Amino acid sequence: MRKIERRAAVCLLLAFCLFAGLALYCYRFATQGSDWVTFTANRHVYAQTGELVTGQILDRDGDVLSTVEDGKRVFHEDATVRKATLHAVGDREGNIGTGALTAFSDLITGYNPVTGSYTASETGNDVTLTIDAYLNVKAYQALDGQKGAVAVYNYKTGEILCMVSTPTFDPNDPPVISADDTSMEGAYLNRVLSSTFVPGSVFKTITLSAALENLPDLFDRHWTCTGSHSVGGVTVTCPSAHGDLDINSAYSNSCNYVFASLAAELGGSTMEKYTKQAGLMDSYSVSGIKTAKGTFTLAGADKGTVGWAGVGQADDLVNPCAMLVAMGAIANGGTAAEPHLLLDDETTMTGQLFQPGTASVLADMMRANVVNKYGADRFPGMDACAKSGTAEVGGDGRPHAWFTGFLRDPEHPYAFVVMVQNGGGGSSVAGTVASAVMQAVVDKY
Amino acid sequence: MQVLENLTGLLQAGLDALAGLLGGLPGLGEAYTTGVRYVLPVLALLILLTAIRSLLGVRHTAEIWAYLNLEDGRRIPLTHWENIVGRQSTADVVLDHPTVSRTHAALIRSDRGDWTVYDLGSKSGTAVDGAPVAESAPVALGQTLSFAGVRARLQAISPEEAATQRKLRAREDRPIPPWGLLVLMTFFQVLTCLQLIVAEGGAVPVSLPLSFLALTALMWCYCLTLRAARQVGFEMEMIAFFLSTLSLSITASSNLNAVPKQFFAILAGVVAFLVLGIFLRDLDHARAIRWLMAAGAIGLLSITLVLGSESKFGAQNWLHIGGMTLQPSELAKICYIFAGSATLDRLFRKRNLGLFIVLTFACLGCLALMSDFGTAAIFFVTFLVIGFLRSGDWATLGIICGGCGAGLMVVLSVKPYIMRRFSIWGHVWEDAANLGYQQTRTMSAAASGGLVGVGAGNGWLQAIGAADTDLVFGIICEEFGLIIAALAVLCIVTLCVFSVRATRAGRSSFYTIAACAASSMMVFQTCLNVFGAVDILPLTGVTFPFVSNGGTAMMAAWGLLAFLKATDTRQNASFAIRRKNKRKSAAQRRAEEEARCEQPVPEPIGPSEPTGEIWDDPVHIPDWDEDGDDGEWHDPVIDFPDDGEEDDHA
Repeated sequence: MRKIERRAAVCLLLAFCLFAGLALYCYRFATQGSDWVTFTANRHVYAQTGELVTGQILDRDGDVLSTVEDGKRVFHEDATVRKATLHAVGDREGNIGTGALTAFSDLITGYNPVTGSYTASETGNDVTLTIDAYLNVKAYQALDGQKGAVAVYNYKTGEILCMVSTPTFDPNDPPVISADDTSMEGAYLNRVLSSTFVPGSVFKTITLSAALENLPDLFDRHWTCTGSHSVGGVTVTCPSAHGDLDINSAYSNSCNYVFASLAAELGGSTMEKYTKQAGLMDSYSVSGIKTAKGTFTLAGADKGTVGWAGVGQADDLVNPCAMLVAMGAIANGGTAAEPHLLLDDETTMTGQLFQPGTASVLADMMRANVVNKYGADRFPGMDACAKSGTAEVGGDGRPHAWFTGFLRDPEHPYAFVVMVQNGGGGSSVAGTVASAVMQAVVDKY
Repeated sequence: MQVLENLTGLLQAGLDALAGLLGGLPGLGEAYTTGVRYVLPVLALLILLTAIRSLLGVRHTAEIWAYLNLEDGRRIPLTHWENIVGRQSTADVVLDHPTVSRTHAALIRSDRGDWTVYDLGSKSGTAVDGAPVAESAPVALGQTLSFAGVRARLQAISPEEAATQRKLRAREDRPIPPWGLLVLMTFFQVLTCLQLIVAEGGAVPVSLPLSFLALTALMWCYCLTLRAARQVGFEMEMIAFFLSTLSLSITASSNLNAVPKQFFAILAGVVAFLVLGIFLRDLDHARAIRWLMAAGAIGLLSITLVLGSESKFGAQNWLHIGGMTLQPSELAKICYIFAGSATLDRLFRKRNLGLFIVLTFACLGCLALMSDFGTAAIFFVTFLVIGFLRSGDWATLGIICGGCGAGLMVVLSVKPYIMRRFSIWGHVWEDAANLGYQQTRTMSAAASGGLVGVGAGNGWLQAIGAADTDLVFGIICEEFGLIIAALAVLCIVTLCVFSVRATRAGRSSFYTIAACAASSMMVFQTCLNVFGAVDILPLTGVTFPFVSNGGTAMMAAWGLLAFLKATDTRQNASFAIRRKNKRKSAAQRRAEEEARCEQPVPEPIGPSEPTGEIWDDPVHIPDWDEDGDDGEWHDPVIDFPDDGEEDDHA
């Protein structure tokens, strides 16, 4: 019997396997439970059609952007609001993966590991976004049917006040989008968070920051722009001959020749260091939503390529949200709050994107751009600092129009980014949108 | 009949009133659910932790059946019915003498108390009172055995010591009284039933509360009847009744009309448990029908193979007889364990597993032809456990595992669709619409329940195919919460640990092997069921013992529990262990005592007698203050029957 007694220990091994497996399951339950709950087959939170049937989404003023009526998900009663907030809120079908309905579904369902997703009346939670629907509408109207992205955020707190992406549609009446319908191309993408675009001249701000710190004689230099020059064996052109320039006028006139030469002189690896430092090559986590990473061909590239990359062309691609944070950092002494979309989120700061001294010089020069070039009267009563960009996209496409900047005002600590896809001139097209949106911001806040 | 009608009428009236109340106060149902989902886990924790603690706290103190008095003065207690005498350290009676073989002889006590010595092919032979033993010979108490010249006298345990031992064991392993657990269980059942009614808004057939009421009554009747028969240990049954309650609730959740059927399955299970347990009391009977059981296992499986019909997932394991559907492969499990267990003398005389391997392959073959690979895996693991317990032979079992692995490869190459089900294992979320359909839904529903569940009847997982059998763990998680689901699994773990620990006080290896095999079977089945549903193992579609909906599976689970009950050697704890009336046995013992006194006192063996004191002294009795114990001992609730009846110590 003693032998069998010893051999019986093999059964304990089986019992241990069951116990260990149970422990593994409990661990997964604790760590992955919220993902499991937000599965569209989960009838506690999703209807047969796959829409979340619990929880409301509110904007920062408490306006109900989406709620559930009679077991069906519905959106704001005004069609313009619905379209302007579509990418922030999401749609019933979950096509917009970064929309709150999908990205924050675990919060909306009211899931927690103790009580599960069940609440007595199965109403779920209210999720309040940092978005102001009013500003979104203003931005949507200013875009006037063009494809593009507009975002405004508070660089001290990180709250995103305005986030619009077009083309958009009415989530109460979602269209069937065919693959060859160019007018609705990328309608499910939030261009602010998930897309990257050729930056064009707005990238010259980064080149300028590198030059400020590495070329001590920068302010003593003079250039003569004739409209076409060879940089590193590659021809760099400007839309027109800018004539005699110093660094201030070269920046406000956005002279390609000057900035291509500076970038080529600084070299690819220095340029890459500053681009990375400014956060343009990394992904931000906006309340858990990962933004798209920018891509640049700098380190190791030949001088001509680095030159073109230094003016935001070549293969450069930048994410509007990353650009927005870089603007906030320039305004805020080199570091800014990381952007977030949930009103309850705590403020976290980025690392040092720019040296404080550099940030201050950059801000002054961007202010000079507005005063000397874009027109201070377009931003009445605002200490607006900005840089425009007209990014050539190659082929027959019209250039992307960019306008990025911030208000240098402790009462209104807002940075903004406007990108109009194939919109044309940066200042004229995107600047107009920025002007309208920022006036609405200052009027309301 | 009249009583039943009255009861039905009463319940119907209650249901109508409840439906009206729920209709009139819409918040009432929600409020009830909100409260009860916290109360149920607390009740479950109280019930199961008490039962688990009590079972795991059993010390399994060995019983002494007789003594072997050696010439050198040692007095070796025989603590099992089956004892191996030999030189090696794992023998039960170690005789460290060069002439003694490593495994020399087996000294075995029969069910009736007669002792027999079996020579296990020793080199130098065994003798009883000088007469050599060819194969086996009966040994009377007081006779002298000789193992290769090492002499030992078989000495009875005195009535006084037996009584003392009985008291000591009873004090050490006192089972908890069942009444508190019964009350808590009743609360659990009533609250669960009410929750099911609330979830349906009161619109349920009267058979639902009737079935729950019947289960409560069955539970009380079982305990009261056995208590009246002076039984005391009910932890295992409480665990089984608890899991059965979950089963009834899950059945209600997925199909209200199937609830009475499931109750009758539980009833049949309890009857099977009692019948099998009482049958197991008699070791000779149990041994005698092993062949019948082997034939039964093959017969049940072949009948299914010939007459069975396809189930929804390809496995052809159902039998339709009249209006009933049976799963004979479940019942074959009991037969298989019966056939696989063996007593120690047999193990050491016939070491090979030959016939058992033949039986195993016949069963596995039938199951493979039915495409019931989950059950085949359960049989195979049980085979490995029994095979190892019987032979301790890693090498042979390794070869068999290799052979089966190769066989599996052949099967998989012939039936590639099985491989498809395995292919999704580990990444079910990548194909949630198709191959990972059941697992993803199980996990999603389970997470929705959180720790406390959404309330019985409020889940949606029950609507998925085979949810109340294969995905039943998901339903418990969803409707009762992770706490109760984890407790249910821990109950199965506890049964296994209990059966292993019980080997210490095991009487016969037949019981020990059967209990270990039965509990291993339950554990492995639970592994396949639970881990298959949540993608820790591939989904194979086997049932969760006691919990899954299904009549045959329920009966099989209770049947397997009988094997475990037969190893519960705590005083009066198990009806599966025979007892005799004390007065009668005391009278018998007196007669025996007198008879022994009339016999001439045997001459001391050997030329020198340095330890003659112990050798001659009938029994040395430890000084127990028996009367003093009684006050503390007689628990008013337990009313321990130490003075009426006792285990068979004759």
